[in-house]
Amino acid sequence: MSLFGAISISASGMDAQRVRAETITENLANADTTRTPEGGAYRRKDAVFSSVPMGGTFASALFDASGGTSDGVAVSQIRVDETEPERRYLPGHPDADAQGYVAFPKINPAEEMVDLMSASRGFQANVTAISAVKDMIARSIDLFR
Amino acid sequence: MVMTFANTALDLGNFLSYLSRRQEVVASNIANADTPGYKTRDLPPPQAFSDLLHESSLGAEEISGLPARNDGNNVSMDREARILAENTLRFNLASQMIKGEIRDLKSAITEGR
Repeated sequence: MSLFGAISISASGMDAQRVRAETITENLANADTTRTPEGGAYRRKDAVFSSVPMGGTFASALFDASGGTSDGVAVSQIRVDETEPERRYLPGHPDADAQGYVAFPKINPAEEMVDLMSASRGFQANVTAISAVKDMIARSIDLFR
Repeated sequence: MVMTFANTALDLGNFLSYLSRRQEVVASNIANADTPGYKTRDLPPPQAFSDLLHESSLGAEEISGLPARNDGNNVSMDREARILAENTLRFNLASQMIKGEIRDLKSAITEGR
């Protein structure tokens, strides 16, 4: 039963990395957004991961009772960057203040791209783990032949 | 003959259970490779085949000696990839051995024909 548990855990990892990639692409897409529904410039968002015990199956409950737990991962929070936005001098800009400065999101595209690569590699690692477990399950089924 | 089959197949079955459980722990480590503060866990190596399903060997423990990153996470992808591959190979070996046991038993049932 725990082989299927391993698949759920890897799936939770894939899910979390996907949310992270979505957040990063949102940041990249909004790198120059000066208007948001909340008012002001777009603020950078960050997915915060935390480990969560995977439960639900009888087998996992049994393992939990005997002291062994395996944790999946979940996005516990989307943290919004509260630091001051970057101010650029653009007097002709429609969102410029009285001094001619425009507040732009503090987003470093290089940093976001590195994060995106990390999310993508994390996703791939989870996919590899699922393939390995699928192979093991196939071998178990093979015993019936 | 049948007793031998039962013992060997049971031991191998327990080994498969251990490997499945370990695979789950490795999957957990990989899923949490980017979780701040997460510490790598592993199952203690089995002392004997017959010990494999005793409660004491079920619990995953935090392992020491891995360098932690700034966020407190110490998952090493290389280590997890190695264990993942090792586990799959061991699982294949054990399941092949069980298959062999079953084949021998079948051969005995059909009187070697």
